[in-house]
Amino acid sequence: MAKFCINDNVDVLIEVLKRLDDRSLGVAACVCKTWCSLTRNDSFWEHMCFRQLSPPPEGVRAVVVALGGYRRLYICCVKPVREVREFNRVWTRHEMELSLSLFCVDYYERVLLGGGGGSGGGRLGSDSAASASLMLLCKAVNV
Amino acid sequence: MKRERDRRKAETAAATGKLKIWEEGQPQADAGMDELFAVLGYKVKSSDMAVVANKLEQLEMAMVTTMEDGISHLSTDTIHYNPSDLSGWVESLLTELSSTSSFDVIPQQIGVPGESSSNLISFSDDKPIHQNRKVIYDYDLRAIPGAAICRSGNEDENPNHEPYSVIKRHRSSPGSEFLDNASLAAARPAVLVDSQETGVRLVHSLMACAEAVQRDNMKLADALVKYVGILAVSQVGAMRKVATYFAEALARRIYKIYPQDSLESSYSDVLQIHFYESCPYLKFAHFTANQAILEAFAGANRVHVIDFSLKQGMQWPALMQALALRPGGPPEFRLTGVGPPQPDNTDALQQVGWKLAQLAETIGLEFKFRGFVANSLADLDASMLDVKSNNLEVVAVNSVFELHRLLARPGGIDKVLNSIKAMNPKIVSIVEQEANHNGNVFLDRFNESLHYYSTIFDSLESSGSTQPNSEDFVMTEVYLGRQICNVVACEGPDRIERHETLSQWRGRMNSAGFDPVHLGSNAFKQASMLLALFAGGDGYRVEENDGSLMLGWHTRPLIATSAWQLKPRRVDRVDWVSQLQLSHDFLGESNPLKPLTATTKSAISELV
Repeated sequence: MAKFCINDNVDVLIEVLKRLDDRSLGVAACVCKTWCSLTRNDSFWEHMCFRQLSPPPEGVRAVVVALGGYRRLYICCVKPVREVREFNRVWTRHEMELSLSLFCVDYYERVLLGGGGGSGGGRLGSDSAASASLMLLCKAVNV
Repeated sequence: MKRERDRRKAETAAATGKLKIWEEGQPQADAGMDELFAVLGYKVKSSDMAVVANKLEQLEMAMVTTMEDGISHLSTDTIHYNPSDLSGWVESLLTELSSTSSFDVIPQQIGVPGESSSNLISFSDDKPIHQNRKVIYDYDLRAIPGAAICRSGNEDENPNHEPYSVIKRHRSSPGSEFLDNASLAAARPAVLVDSQETGVRLVHSLMACAEAVQRDNMKLADALVKYVGILAVSQVGAMRKVATYFAEALARRIYKIYPQDSLESSYSDVLQIHFYESCPYLKFAHFTANQAILEAFAGANRVHVIDFSLKQGMQWPALMQALALRPGGPPEFRLTGVGPPQPDNTDALQQVGWKLAQLAETIGLEFKFRGFVANSLADLDASMLDVKSNNLEVVAVNSVFELHRLLARPGGIDKVLNSIKAMNPKIVSIVEQEANHNGNVFLDRFNESLHYYSTIFDSLESSGSTQPNSEDFVMTEVYLGRQICNVVACEGPDRIERHETLSQWRGRMNSAGFDPVHLGSNAFKQASMLLALFAGGDGYRVEENDGSLMLGWHTRPLIATSAWQLKPRRVDRVDWVSQLQLSHDFLGESNPLKPLTATTKSAISELV
C-alpha cells in the first residue's frame, strides 16, 4: 500500500488549509516551502476576508488585487476590525465596505503620498506593514 | 510653589529633608535674569543658578548639622533686603556658620516639576493673606481669585509694593519632616497644595487675564499672563499644553506681536495630514461627507465633485473606491480642486491631481482633474469652473473647514454661497467646527475656545496614550495651537478661524436658499464603526442632530457634518403659473374648463 503524502495531493491540501483561521494559516506557512508558497496564494486570504459574507460583487477582486492583495487587506484592515468586534459576530457588508475604503486610503498614503513631501519616511513608525493612517487600527485596543 | 519652598527651607531650621533644587535649564531671554524668580521679586541671573543652588544646599547642610549651635536665629530673623544678590546673601549666611568643613554637596536635579507628584509644599490655599506670612508681589495677584471667582471688578491699578519679597517664617520644631502632608498641624505655616488646585488656579488666571484684555487693562493682563506661564509649567499633559498655547496667544495680543500670516500652505497641509492621522475628527468628516455625496450620486453616470479644500486629497480615495465598486458600475468621475497659491510657485494642486489619477487608474475608475488656485474662495466664479449643465453631469460641492474663513471679510460668504448656487449642485456637503468662536465680545470668544480646545486636547491625550510623543501628535498640537493663536490674538481680516455652530450655519444656509438633506443611517453606522476602531474610541460620540451628524468627545460635540441642496427655484413656480395661463389661452373659448378668473389666478400665485 502506497504511503499517503499530503504534498502529493495538493487539491486536498488546499481544501484543508482553506478552513484554517488566520493564525493557523500563518503557522502552516512555516511548515515547508510547498506549504509556504501555497498559503501566499491570495485566494486563501480572499476566502478569509469574505468567509462570512455572501459572494462580493464583481470587480472587488480586481480592485483589491490592484491595491495590494487580499492578504494585505486582511492583515491591515479586516483583522483589526474583526478584533474589535465581538467574537463570532457576523461580518456585515458595511464593515466590509469600511475596510475596503480604509484599504484604499492606505494605498494612497503608502504608495502615492509616502514617497513625496516633507512628511515622508518618519511617519511610518514601527509597523512597516501599515501606513500611519491605519496604525491606530493595528494597535491593540487598550480601553 | 517649589521654588518658594526651597528658599524658605533654606531659611528655616526645620529642613531635614533633602534639599532638592530645581535648576532652570536654559537661560531665559529676559536680560539673563531667571524669569520665575524675577516675578517673585528676586533677581537671579540664569547663569548663576547653578552656583546659587549649590550655595543654598550648602547652607541647608550647615544649618542641619550645626543646629544645636544656636543658629536658629537664622530661621526667624533673617530678612533678605537685597534681591539682586541672592547668591551673595547666601554666601554671607554660610560664612556666619563655622563652616570650615567641606560639605559633600551633590546638587540634586529634579526633572521638570510638571512630572512631580502632588505632594508639593507650596502656597497655602486661596486665602490671600496668611496670618503667619505676608507675601507681596509686584502686582497684586491676589486680584486673581477675586476677579475670576467673584467677578467683583476690582482689577484696579495695583498699589505700589516693594519690589522684593519679605518673608518671615515660623520656626518649625527641629527634626520635623515637613514634607508629609498628614503631619501638618495648624501651627505650621507650610500647607500642602496639589497640582489639581494649581490647575483650577490656572484656569481662573487665564480667564482673568482675558477679562483684563477685554477691559484694556494691559498692565494687569501682562502680570497675569506671566503668572499663567508659571502655573502652566506645574501642570502635566493636556492642561499644560492648552494653557501654554492660550498664554502665548494672550501674550501676543497684549504685546501686539501678531503672528505672521506666512502660513505656507504646504506647511499647513502637512500639519493637517498629521491631524488627520492622530485623531478621528477629519476622518469622520471625510467619511460622512463622502457618504452623503455617494448617495446623491446614485444612478448618475457622470459625476463632478468640486472640492473647496483639496489639500492633499485625502478625502477622495475612499469615495473613488466606493464609486468604483458600486453596484451598477462606476461612473465617470471628475474632480475640481481649489487651493491657495504656493509660495514657491509649484503646482501642488496638479501634483495631487496626478496622484489621484494614478489611484483611479489602479482601481479602474475614469478620472479627470482640474485645479484652481485662489487666494480666497470669494475670488472664484461659477463660470470659471466649467460646470456642465444638469443633464450632463451631477455636481457635488464639498467644503471641509473652509467656509468659516470667509466670515472674516464682509460679503465673502454671500458671494461664495451665490457661486455655489450658480453651480447647480445636487448636494453640498459642509463640515465645520462646532463652536462659536466668532462672537463680537473677545471674552466670550476666549472662554468658548478655551473649553473647545481643552476638550480636543483631552481627547488627543486619551487616545494617544500609547504614543504620546510621536510626530503625529506633536504636529497635531502645533496645528491646533495655530488655530488658538488666530482665534485669540488676531482681529479683523486676519482672524480667519471664525468658527460658528451648526445652528448658525443652518440659519445662514437657509436664508441663502438651501434646504437640508438628512444624512441617513448608513452614514451614522459607518461613522460609529470608524470610531469604534480607534484606540481610546470609547470617549468619542457620534450624535445625530436633525439630519446632521456631530462627532464629539464625551458630552461635547466638536465637529458637525451637514448636507444641503438647493431649494426648488422660484422661477419654476412662476413659469408654471404662466404655463397654466398659456394653456388656457390656447384652448380658447371651446375649452370646457373655465378661464382663469382673477381670483383664481391670485390663489394659484399664493399657493406657489
